[in-house]
Amino acid sequence: MSGTGADYIIEAKGLSKQFMGFMAVQNVDLKVRRNSVHALIGPNGAGKTTTFNLLTKFLQPSAGQILYNGEDITALKPDVVARKGMVRSFQISAVFPRMSVSDNVRIALQHKLGTSYHFWRREASLNVLSGRVDELLEAVGLLDYRRHNAAELPYGRKRALEIATTLALDPEMLLLDEPTSGLGHEDVDRIAALIGTVAKDRTVLMVEHNLSVVSRLSNTITVLARGQVLAEGAYESVSQDPRVIEAYIGGADV
Amino acid sequence: MQITPQLLFGQLLVGLINGSFYAMMSLGVAIIFGMLRIGNFVHGAQYMLGAFGAWFLLQLPVLFPGLGLPSLNYWWALILVPLGVGALGALMERFLIRKVYNLEHAYGLLLTIGMTMVLEGLFNVRFGAAGQQYGVPDLLQGGFNLGFVFLPTYRLWVIVVALLVCFGTWWLVERTKLGSYLRAATENPDMVRSFGINVPLLLMFTYAFGVGLAGLAGVMAAPIYQVSPQMGQNIIIIIFAVVVIGGMGSIFGAIVSGLALGMIEGLTKVFYPQAASTVIFLIMALVLVLRPAGLFGKETSAHSGTDVVTARSDSILENGRLWLVILGLAGAAAPFLVYPVFAMKVLCLALFASAYNLIFGYVGLLAFGHAAFYGSSAYVTAHAASVWGLPTELSILAGVGMATVLGALFGWLAIRRQGLYFAMITMALAQIVYFFILQSPWTHGEDGIQSVPRGKLLGFIDLNDPLAMYFFVLAVFLLGFAFIYRIVRSPFGQVLKSIRENEPRAISLGYSTDRFKLIAFTLSAMLAGLAGGTKAIVFQIASLTDVFFSTSADVLLMTLVGGVGTLLGPVVGAVIVATMQKELAGLGGWVVVVQGLIFILCVLFLRKGVVGALEDLLSRRAVRRRDAAAADRIAAADRIAAEKR
Ligand SMILES: Nc1ncnc2c1ncn2[C@@H]1O[C@H](COP(=O)(O)OP(=O)(O)OP(=O)(O)O)[C@@H](O)[C@H]1O
Ligand SMILES: [Mg+2]
Repeated sequence: MSGTGADYIIEAKGLSKQFMGFMAVQNVDLKVRRNSVHALIGPNGAGKTTTFNLLTKFLQPSAGQILYNGEDITALKPDVVARKGMVRSFQISAVFPRMSVSDNVRIALQHKLGTSYHFWRREASLNVLSGRVDELLEAVGLLDYRRHNAAELPYGRKRALEIATTLALDPEMLLLDEPTSGLGHEDVDRIAALIGTVAKDRTVLMVEHNLSVVSRLSNTITVLARGQVLAEGAYESVSQDPRVIEAYIGGADV
Repeated sequence: MQITPQLLFGQLLVGLINGSFYAMMSLGVAIIFGMLRIGNFVHGAQYMLGAFGAWFLLQLPVLFPGLGLPSLNYWWALILVPLGVGALGALMERFLIRKVYNLEHAYGLLLTIGMTMVLEGLFNVRFGAAGQQYGVPDLLQGGFNLGFVFLPTYRLWVIVVALLVCFGTWWLVERTKLGSYLRAATENPDMVRSFGINVPLLLMFTYAFGVGLAGLAGVMAAPIYQVSPQMGQNIIIIIFAVVVIGGMGSIFGAIVSGLALGMIEGLTKVFYPQAASTVIFLIMALVLVLRPAGLFGKETSAHSGTDVVTARSDSILENGRLWLVILGLAGAAAPFLVYPVFAMKVLCLALFASAYNLIFGYVGLLAFGHAAFYGSSAYVTAHAASVWGLPTELSILAGVGMATVLGALFGWLAIRRQGLYFAMITMALAQIVYFFILQSPWTHGEDGIQSVPRGKLLGFIDLNDPLAMYFFVLAVFLLGFAFIYRIVRSPFGQVLKSIRENEPRAISLGYSTDRFKLIAFTLSAMLAGLAGGTKAIVFQIASLTDVFFSTSADVLLMTLVGGVGTLLGPVVGAVIVATMQKELAGLGGWVVVVQGLIFILCVLFLRKGVVGALEDLLSRRAVRRRDAAAADRIAAADRIAAEKR
């Protein structure tokens, strides 16, 4: 692979994370090409979520460096990274349960008004966002639910709401941790289609166990096992790689 | 003052003794927290039970003259009392503590606070505040003259036993099979269960063991300190600070910090006696800045909010404009229906509780030191009005300023930790304020600042007129209430809510959640200060109770009874608690017992409070109606489709 730094939105070099003597992530190099869909796969406990936590700064790496758009973000805080346009989702659904569906999306949108610290301003000042909230909910098929509390949604809808909330920030890059896990067939298809649409003008890095989703959506795949990069490339080449097959069978529980 | 070797070593020895008790107690608290995730506030009362247990055994013939029982001495007590107190602990676990394992940490703390109030209250009613004497056992009389210091045998005995017990326990938990089961049981109960181990029983034993340690400490303390119902009251807050310093969950940290802090306290008595009662809390603050996880603690990143709020923002009970009008009207009528002084008390408390609710209900942080803001503002207001002669409104403003500054400082320190830690830290920081006010000359110690002039508002409204005073308080309350409503229903309030609901997600959306929490905490302190300052003018007094721990517990109780995280809950709670305190005043010491019982009952059965329960009902009805309407729509659509076919 060749290319200048500008081709890659994210470049992680020698990323490692140790938990009390246990190396969860070990010397991982990861480059994500701009405007691509990049999948991170691997058996349970391979270190995928930990890698996400490291990239988004929810965890501080024990070693290594992270460049985002060429800028070193290794020492930054997670909320700062998010404001730079790299927004993540969580492996288990992360909505604000006792807020209404539309408030869930609005909380992300209100960022750009710059009034989030204004405790003296009326909530009605956020009404200018209603149109955009409805658009986003429409896009993920949740418009009819907008007055429900997020807690009342079925699981698949919660995941859709999460994506709508994430999109509300208009991020340059999305990190999705198992967006289809725990969903039924129909929901998987809907979410996969949604990711496909979203990815048209953005970069997506996703952890995903559902290999049909991975093969359908992703341009590049990185396989992680025991905290290390095992293989990288397009779906066809990676899925033929004997080491990958071995790791998955060895991991057995996939 | 001349620092002689006698003084130095004497205080070091006293420090070592105190440290031994700190270590034994912190050990129990650390084990119970580490294994059960319960902040065992009742540990102090259980220690008191131990001391009383020893005294009872000695007094058996006197207490039950007809039964011909023997008087059981210290050595019997040393064996029987820890077992008895431990057994009592097992019962407490079985019938109370067990109910809150799966709830947010805050409830464990609240429950054990209620238990403490009941226990200490009962002993107070029966034995009064005065202490009982308990002699040093014959075998341990006398002492050794080490030249530089005289070492009583009993004290040497305490130190040796404490060290043996502490390190023995540490070895048991960290180095044996039993200990590893215990640790596994908390981390992965299902797996341990599948090994055929009875997990609930294991947890019950753990709690009983920790409590037994407190009982043992109590027996050993009986010959040294006075045996009194309050003996556990101050020590428990110190113990919480020790555990925070040592690092929660670290048994070794608890032991070492306990011993070291006792000695540091002793040294402080030699070199700077004024700070002796606060030095541990100051060290805690310092440790928090430098090593937030504690000296021996592991980094934890548990995010959890309080799971109590059910209020839907579109509920009629949350409509602030409506309720502002209703409360205004009710408030205007009140002085003609009830005793105005009582009404003013309720208004001050309602404002205080609403301010507290801002941080506990809307951000989900269990703060436990709001007496510091309420009380310090009361003192500054009282001082400004009576000594500086400032006009009333400026005096209150000075108090509010004080509370705001303290709030920002405490918030900055405490925000670093969450959940139970946050509670323990705010509690300990508030204790610094308490001791500072207790010791400063301008506050007049136990007397407080009395006869504070009410003065003239804006120079022309004479507040000595009871009605003028009343309507001023009503105006302050309504203003505060409206301001809180505005904060909650603002872009800022939305972010607070999202932090309470799911903090990591709020971070991932780019919010610096710590900064939001700090601002909310400061605002909450500021409004608590407004309540405290107003109270000082109304009742013309600032007293130690205002800054004492019990005031922090009261405000929590009001919020809890009324409904955490609801608009009206704190107001309703203030009315209930104030009425109850007034009605029960004739019962004397029993008030605390009753309040403790209410705490316990609320935690077990009415976690959402009165208003919360009502909100729940309304919200379920609204959801049912909405779903029914949706079902109708679908049915209608189906019918049309069927007709078409
Ligand atoms: N905070 C932590 N403390 C200690 N160990 C951790 C921590 N987080 C993760 N680990 C360990 O690191 C390893 C990698 O975990 P990680 O969650 O990254 O795996 P994953 O690839 O996302 O797996 P899954 O497919 O199950 O989500 C696991 O063995 C896990 O137990
Ligand atoms: Mg994972």
